[in-house]
Amino acid sequence: MRLIPGNTIADEAKGTDKLTLVDFSADWCGPCKMLHPVLDKLTSELGSKVNFVTVDIDKDPAAANQFGIRGVPTMIIFHGGKEIDRMVGFRDKASLKRDLEALAVGTLG
Amino acid sequence: MSFKVDTGLVSSGAIQSIDSYQLVIAGGGPAALSAAIYAARYGIKHVVLESWKPGGQAALTAEIENYPGFSSIAGSDLTSAMKKQATEAGALFRMETVESTTEENGKILVKTDSSEYTADFLIIATGAAPATLGVPGEERYYGRGVSFCATCDAPFFKNKKAIVVGGGDSAVKEALHLTHVVSELGLVHRRDKLRAEPYLARKLVEHDKVTTYWNSHLAEVVGDDQGVTGVILDTPEGRKHIDTDGVFLYVGTVPATEPFVSLVELDKNSAVLTRNIVGTSNPRVFAAGDVTNNGFRQVVTAVSEGARASAAVFELLEKEE
Repeated sequence: MRLIPGNTIADEAKGTDKLTLVDFSADWCGPCKMLHPVLDKLTSELGSKVNFVTVDIDKDPAAANQFGIRGVPTMIIFHGGKEIDRMVGFRDKASLKRDLEALAVGTLG
Repeated sequence: MSFKVDTGLVSSGAIQSIDSYQLVIAGGGPAALSAAIYAARYGIKHVVLESWKPGGQAALTAEIENYPGFSSIAGSDLTSAMKKQATEAGALFRMETVESTTEENGKILVKTDSSEYTADFLIIATGAAPATLGVPGEERYYGRGVSFCATCDAPFFKNKKAIVVGGGDSAVKEALHLTHVVSELGLVHRRDKLRAEPYLARKLVEHDKVTTYWNSHLAEVVGDDQGVTGVILDTPEGRKHIDTDGVFLYVGTVPATEPFVSLVELDKNSAVLTRNIVGTSNPRVFAAGDVTNNGFRQVVTAVSEGARASAAVFELLEKEE
């Protein structure tokens, strides 16, 4: 999964027809570490529908403030530059995949 | 926003293969890791289905101070060391989540999100997930001030106010972790004394930053577009509004037993009902750690139960040969 600077989140979310999942993460966060292999796996399974990126909130605290993040991991899903869903905490691969597929059907058709 | 305190049990997907083992160990925390170490050393043909959460709840504990041999160790360091030891002993791990289990012709069938297994024996060590209270505002502000993991989210509350709800070991350990960061900490507990280990309880209650609210319940989490701004408590003196930026909930756990309901008897709290510590109502199924009704939810008891469960399987395999 690609690490991006926090100030490029908006461009990242607007610059694709796919959904964009931004994972707000930190090194000291256990569930974030558990989530990374899930997102890596989903990057290969859902890459045609979802653009997966991660932001390190230690390097980019302003991004966490901008999006009202007070807990990690938080995943914000964008479509066409707009936030369409927000998920907090660790998510199991199967349930996250199911929810992302449902969002893709609802937005991408 | 999706409100899910993950149990790691919901899954779906294409079945790719069926593998046969003497033992399947379901779970990835200390109980499962200990069972894996012993199973590997006993030479039992086994697989550990650790879901996607290696280390389980213990891996999310900031500091563990009561595991023999370590005055203080980060939970994630301890579980990583256990996994390394299990792997070196020959344990086989798969990152798969158990979806359902059944028994047919004396074999346990285990279906995961990507495979199917048959086994002579099963050890359930899937642990437990944090319980929620279901009060207004709890779901709405999850991730915006409401948290179930101080170890993860404490840095967001540097020099801010927070409250912890709960009175057990987890509540007190995580509250102590928060005292290093926050400016003020409220402790809300439904009884007039803490259930936690007395040494830790005293350390917390006597801390300069801590205010206690005994015999009190969290009634509501309130906030604005930015997140939590306060809580409403039911106290013996009536309803009170307390200003706070964060609410950390440690109000018990929900055992992760959904995939095993057809296999073993559960108690009223959905924990696996054990007999002789690790036995269950099914002679081919054992259980260890926080998923059981054994009560004392510690890493040291989880690893003990995991070891006993693998030893019990070994004895039965010897008899069957």
